[in-house]
Amino acid sequence: MGFLNLTKKGVALALSAQLVLATQAVTLAEAQMVGTDAAISKYTAMANRSVLMDELQRSEVREQIIELGVDPAEAEQRLAALSDEEISTILTQMENDSAGADIVGTLFTVFIILLVTDLLCFTRIFNFTRCIR
Amino acid sequence: MLHPDLQLYTLYPLSALRRVAFLLIASWIAACAPAFDPDARLDVDVPTRAQVANVPLIRQADFYCGPASIAMVMQWAGADIDQEDVAWLAFSPGARGTYLADMIGSSRRLGQLAVEISTFDQLLSEIDAGHPVIVFQNLGLGIAPVWHYGVVTGYDFGRDEVYLNSGQLEQMVLPFATFERTWRRGDYWGLVVLPPDDLPVSVPEPDILSAGAALERVGQLAAAETLYETGAARWPYSWIWQFGLANARYGQGDLRGARTALRQAQRIDPSVPEIRNNLAQVNHELAG
Repeated sequence: MGFLNLTKKGVALALSAQLVLATQAVTLAEAQMVGTDAAISKYTAMANRSVLMDELQRSEVREQIIELGVDPAEAEQRLAALSDEEISTILTQMENDSAGADIVGTLFTVFIILLVTDLLCFTRIFNFTRCIR
Repeated sequence: MLHPDLQLYTLYPLSALRRVAFLLIASWIAACAPAFDPDARLDVDVPTRAQVANVPLIRQADFYCGPASIAMVMQWAGADIDQEDVAWLAFSPGARGTYLADMIGSSRRLGQLAVEISTFDQLLSEIDAGHPVIVFQNLGLGIAPVWHYGVVTGYDFGRDEVYLNSGQLEQMVLPFATFERTWRRGDYWGLVVLPPDDLPVSVPEPDILSAGAALERVGQLAAAETLYETGAARWPYSWIWQFGLANARYGQGDLRGARTALRQAQRIDPSVPEIRNNLAQVNHELAG
């Protein structure tokens, strides 16, 4: 019995190892370098979105949003509904608006709050926001 | 009105007569135009005046406003290059002009970081940061366009003047309102051309990254390497600069340098499969 258990374990181990290797092999199947271009197009949109999402988690921002009578979870959902294109437009506009002040800081906080209020039809700052009621 | 689909731009050499006519039109437009109000038009804080020093004035050869503009900006940055060298890469003789895309492409093939801008905020921020900006203007009217590239080198709100090196041996000085009109008719197209160790201040990170990838594509790997190193210093928490750095080094046969950069990328973000893939590839080649 003990022997059988050991074999089972061995088989399981071998199988899972193979599974891991197989998944790895898929990623490595190209057997060549992934170009910078490919990485940029795959990751910068994602990074942009996560910058905005991270900002929504900050306590100052949350407090302000709650003060305005907005549910932070709803704000997140609205942000998630924007396309990559829209997110990048927002960030370009933001960087332009806050050039010199850098990304972080009060300006950014104000920006995020305006963005959220825009999405909720309280304000109309950004041309591309669809206000959803 | 603008012709957004019109892709071809030429400058006819401004004869004396044309120049007089242009100045008359310009002053007439300026006379009836409301003054440019920086407070209403700008969202950035820029000083009331700024000037980029030492941008050379090059007298353009016929139709060479594009190549001359790039040559001026590159000479300002210390490169030994003239408008003929640029024209070889950018100018379209059949069109007697230089396409926008060729302005960008030729700058990159010459190892420069070239990034587009499209707003007054960006233009003035770059000038304030000490970067000359190539602008695309229609000096004529929508119905009778005189397309032209010039280099903005400074501005002064107090005197209501924008300064351009514009293909002539004397500086072109335009009131803000007139410059605004000529630039608007060019769809506010601007191009920042810099050596790769000097980054534009008004452009988002992904645009600069993409300009780096473009340098790789045209085989300017050393320039791409410098750009990625500069970007990595400015955005130290962004792994993708190290990733690009590794590719630029790998392309130059520097496997060890590529490995160092990929390891750094992995320290910044251990979860990215592309980093793992490239590191495995580099390690494989180093072992073999």
